[in-house]
Amino acid sequence: MFLEKGKISNFQLSVLIVGFVFGSSVIISPGGGAGHDGWIAVAIGLMEGLLIAWIFTALAKQFKDKTIIEINSLIYGKILGKCISVLFIWYLFHLGALVLTNYMHFFNLQIYPATPKTVELLLLMLVCASTVGRGIEVLARLSIILVPLTTLLIISDTFLLIPHIDLSNLMPILDVPIGKLLLASHGAASFPFAETAAFLMVLAFVDKPEKGPSAVFRGLLIAGFILIIVVARNAAVLGQMAEITIYPTYLAAQVIDIGDILTRLEVVVGINLITMGFIKISVLFYGTVLGLAQILNLRSYRPIILPVGILMVILALTNVGNTLEMFEFATKGYPVYAVPFQIGIPLLTLGIAKLRKIPPKGEGNI
Amino acid sequence: MISLLLIGFVMVALWQIPSLVRTGWWKEIIVFMVLWSAGLILSVIVSMGIKLPPISTIINKSITGMFGI
Repeated sequence: MFLEKGKISNFQLSVLIVGFVFGSSVIISPGGGAGHDGWIAVAIGLMEGLLIAWIFTALAKQFKDKTIIEINSLIYGKILGKCISVLFIWYLFHLGALVLTNYMHFFNLQIYPATPKTVELLLLMLVCASTVGRGIEVLARLSIILVPLTTLLIISDTFLLIPHIDLSNLMPILDVPIGKLLLASHGAASFPFAETAAFLMVLAFVDKPEKGPSAVFRGLLIAGFILIIVVARNAAVLGQMAEITIYPTYLAAQVIDIGDILTRLEVVVGINLITMGFIKISVLFYGTVLGLAQILNLRSYRPIILPVGILMVILALTNVGNTLEMFEFATKGYPVYAVPFQIGIPLLTLGIAKLRKIPPKGEGNI
Repeated sequence: MISLLLIGFVMVALWQIPSLVRTGWWKEIIVFMVLWSAGLILSVIVSMGIKLPPISTIINKSITGMFGI
């Protein structure tokens, strides 16, 4: 069943992965809980993320041209397959709403305190809906423009912060107890690296599927490397403040002051969140509507884009009581909650596929 | 506020349904109507100031309680 006729290149996939990983990580530093060793936690989290990516890309490689929804139906049968697919779709939908919630809380607290939250969300959701309606190709082409620009802005911010960097803030290295560091690392893996499991809805549309895994790894490595630098930079600039503030990257950007001319650059962080949040939400939104259309055997996913978008906005508005509850969920509950979706479903499906030898040798596409 | 919401939802329905009826995609119309109705009901509830249960907070409390985090 082909609800999506577009194809993306491996290069576009890599760039899309970079944008997806940046997502809300451009404001919320991963690796929280490891103090000034956060960058080490992100580095270990990246390795865990690569391991998880190896699992889901192996699954996608085994079933070329198939999304996780179609793979589930083949592996588990129609009914159980659809039940597992519904759980996966719920994860994509919920994660999309969580990114929207992050976006809403950040803009409501820092940039547009007087603008109604619903307006902020609806405006972003309309742009995402318009892009999703045009298919994965358009989203991939957009990411080619937006991701390098955002990367350039992040690197520029880092260079401008060099005069404020105090390396003693990063000392002593590995000061955190190993258990705490590993917990923080798993947190960094689950948000944002392993969230790329959502690409199980996208990998079927890569024009050279055999090179898909290397494109995913490339994207993860580039994004991971930049995030490690950003987390280390924030800790080096802010010191203890980086551990207690909600948005360390935003706070670090406020420090930039080049000759009283180049100041108030924190708004750049807000722009980064709009562009990268847009990419992440669009990928998750696309996965949700495409998956739902595949489960329900619809002829197109386009008719359900707007109602699903509205439901995502409602969930974003009611997801958490306040910003602190959101952060508690992100640091405590989410790393556990995400495991079945990021590791459980792909690993179990891959394991059963290998045991049952599905698809038979030489039939990459059944 | 609620009337504005209703206008918005009617506009969405008017934009989608005629083309679906023309092509005879009845299954898609049913799915659209179910999701649209759910969206409408929940939006009216939220705009009336009735608090919906915060799902992520509930998940977080269950997980932290279960694993003692």
